[in-house]
Amino acid sequence: MFHPIAWSLWVVAAAMPAMLTQNPLYLSIICLAAGIVYATVRHTTPLAASWNSFLKLGLTLLAFTVPINALSVHAGRLVLFSLPPSWPLIGGPITVEAIIFGVSKALSLFTLLLIFAVFNCAVDQSRLLRWTPAFLFEAGLITSIALTFVPQMLRNAQEIREAQIIRGHRFRGLRDLLPLFVPLLTGGLERAVQLAESMEARGFGGSLESLSHGREIAVKVATAAGLLGLLGGFFSATYFPDRRALSWLLLLPSIGALLFVFRVQSKRVHRSRYHHDTWQRRDTVLAAVSAGLALTLLLVRAGARSLLTYYPYPPFSPWPSFNLWLGSAFTLLLVPALLSSFHPPRQPLNSLVAGEP
Amino acid sequence: MIEYKNVHYRYPGNEAPVLRDLSLTIPEGDFVLVIGPSGAGKSTFLRCLNGLVPHFYGGTFSGQVRVLGRDPLHEGPRGMAPHVGFVFQNPEDQFVVETVEDELAFALENYNLPQATMRKRIEEVLDQLNIAHLRQRRISTLSGGEQQRVAIAAVLTLQPQVLVLDEPTSQLDPQAAEEVLDTLLKLNHDLGLSIILSEHRLERVVQYADHVLYLPGDGQPPLFGSPAEVMARVPFTPPLVTLGKALGWEPLPLTIKEARRFAKRVPSSGVRVQPDTRNPKLETSIEVQDLWFSYNGHDALRGVNLTIRAGEFVAVMGRNGSGKTTLLKHIVGLLKPRQGRVAVIGHDTRHASVTEIITHVGYVPQNPNALLFADTIREELDFTRRNHHLPPTDYTPLLHLLGLERHAERYPRDLSVGEKQRAALASILVADPQVILLDEPTRGLDYQQKEALTAFLQKQKRAGRTVVMATHDVELVASCADRVIILGEGQVVVDGPVRQVMTDSQVFASQVNKLFRDARFLTVEDVLRQL
Repeated sequence: MFHPIAWSLWVVAAAMPAMLTQNPLYLSIICLAAGIVYATVRHTTPLAASWNSFLKLGLTLLAFTVPINALSVHAGRLVLFSLPPSWPLIGGPITVEAIIFGVSKALSLFTLLLIFAVFNCAVDQSRLLRWTPAFLFEAGLITSIALTFVPQMLRNAQEIREAQIIRGHRFRGLRDLLPLFVPLLTGGLERAVQLAESMEARGFGGSLESLSHGREIAVKVATAAGLLGLLGGFFSATYFPDRRALSWLLLLPSIGALLFVFRVQSKRVHRSRYHHDTWQRRDTVLAAVSAGLALTLLLVRAGARSLLTYYPYPPFSPWPSFNLWLGSAFTLLLVPALLSSFHPPRQPLNSLVAGEP
Repeated sequence: MIEYKNVHYRYPGNEAPVLRDLSLTIPEGDFVLVIGPSGAGKSTFLRCLNGLVPHFYGGTFSGQVRVLGRDPLHEGPRGMAPHVGFVFQNPEDQFVVETVEDELAFALENYNLPQATMRKRIEEVLDQLNIAHLRQRRISTLSGGEQQRVAIAAVLTLQPQVLVLDEPTSQLDPQAAEEVLDTLLKLNHDLGLSIILSEHRLERVVQYADHVLYLPGDGQPPLFGSPAEVMARVPFTPPLVTLGKALGWEPLPLTIKEARRFAKRVPSSGVRVQPDTRNPKLETSIEVQDLWFSYNGHDALRGVNLTIRAGEFVAVMGRNGSGKTTLLKHIVGLLKPRQGRVAVIGHDTRHASVTEIITHVGYVPQNPNALLFADTIREELDFTRRNHHLPPTDYTPLLHLLGLERHAERYPRDLSVGEKQRAALASILVADPQVILLDEPTRGLDYQQKEALTAFLQKQKRAGRTVVMATHDVELVASCADRVIILGEGQVVVDGPVRQVMTDSQVFASQVNKLFRDARFLTVEDVLRQL
């Protein structure tokens, strides 16, 4: 489909409004867009099943937040009915405003969930992890191992729990955690050792080139100075907001020093990468549209903040306002769906190789 | 060519050496099978080939190993990886990344190979192992056999000339094991890859091996020679070979085909199937009526009906995913029926709690590691007794019966697979249940350990306990069970006395039974008694 980086930009552009506004009209547009995008990408991925669990989680959230907000917040002018005031907490008028506010709160969470569900279907973590910079490849690898370890651990935990139940294990106090915890821990350690062996047997490690003495010192100094300068820059930006020049004077060279460190360290790693993500024109389109939308939102927030704010309780109107321009801007989130309907997805490589239909 | 010269190795912290003065030469392109009891040094022997011993483990090493003219001691695992591929026992524990294709690329990336080479090699290996259709799959969604083939592919991308596998099928069911072994044979025949394999399923591979190395352990000298030569001299062999040795068949047959001509000489009587020995007057121990169960919308059991009487020994067989474990979990009350009813010794599992049921039923799960947590076996047994509100007793008879009397004070996780399995059995049986449920009790066991387990189970049967075991192991079933139930797609497909079921089946029959196709003969003992 799209390049992971292009997808990441789309997620940023989609998640930003969901976090900046609680206007249910805008949120509904984004939700709808996310749903349509999902419908077009799901054929290309085996991970589409996870969408349903996201959806369920979102609906559960809605089912909880709306009644709780309606029953516990009694502000507002449009009263539907009243519960006896003697009832603790829930007693009092039940208002339309409280219901609307509950819905819009839940909707913003729901929207975020949907966006990440789409992302989760479209890009799996291992594809994203390939984009960690070369000198951080170990950190990327650890994350990827952890991601495979977790489901294994969970399965193992379930197995252990069952095994102890049938031995008559009951949970009465902290001490009873031992029979569950010890096998899980030892099992995890045994697996880790086995994995280490398997990695070593495939030539992992030792692929770091040693630096010349001078370079090594330069890297160390640059790292320390860069980090200190960065810290100082943020400090001065926070506490002396009027002395911008000073902050930038500290920040820019520090960033430069750190970039130098990144470059040197990345060059040391003699390790190639098996990427097969290629950047296509459609990725440029998606990235540009997403970046444009994100930028627009930042400008709106800085210049015309009132367009985004929504608060249903008095003295404001309970009915959300709707700006046509902003509303249509959000429909730009449909770009991935539009692009993939213009260009049918490429035939997966394996069907060409295996000679299957 | 692979050469071991006076190799001597001791693990750190151990007094006794695992390998003692080992010398042998393996020709290029050979298929070598390494056999021997657990703890005899099979894994150690294999790990010398790529330098994991001593580089990964430490310890004291002396002597010389040469693989294709290289010295693993000097080059270390990283230097040897492009020449020696190494595949481990448990498929799940050797994967680094999530998807098949990335896993295949991992070794190539470590050697900084250019993009174009990586692509070419990965395509080739995918085709060699017939896993091109899996390339984008997540490894965790693959079956055990597929996973092990991916593990093999992940080392073949470096194009090694030697492939070393440490019990690659011991955690797999028979079908998956077959897939893996077929792949190995193909690689050996088509590519001339040398294969050094340690394996317990001798009956499946011994006939294909060029050489067999037997490591007896306990300081005994190793044996290296042709399969028939070595088989004639080792104590624990597949039933067919054992029978051949007992009857003096020469040359020793390794396959059913080779044994057929000898079998014709054994007189066959007219008696076919023995009458049903089940006594209907015995009280019902387990009753399953119209049992339905599903996991996430997938039906695991579909209308199972069973009555098991006290004192019966029942084997539940069938493909992976046919519902064997699900059935056992229903009997012990861990799962509750979606529809239908399960009653154990008069307790309906829908109403009785697991705590109540386990006073009558002992369930030994597939993985003993899930069970064992204490510092010693004695403490494991105390734990179970305490949970059942029973006073601690003298465990010596039970431990003796299981051959664990010397290990009462040992840390359970340090034991061998077979000993762990028996320690798990002990920790369940110490509560003295009337009904014993076993899930895959022989997974990962060698012949010697299997024999010990079989003897123990036969004693339980004689003591009048009801035993239900889910297993793939036809030989175990042949020597213990009276009745076989075969499940297919969550339904009972076959239910009958073991002799009848085995003689009627092509798949679920023991080696001896396949040879004679006679209901009187299931085990070697059956034949010897008859003569």
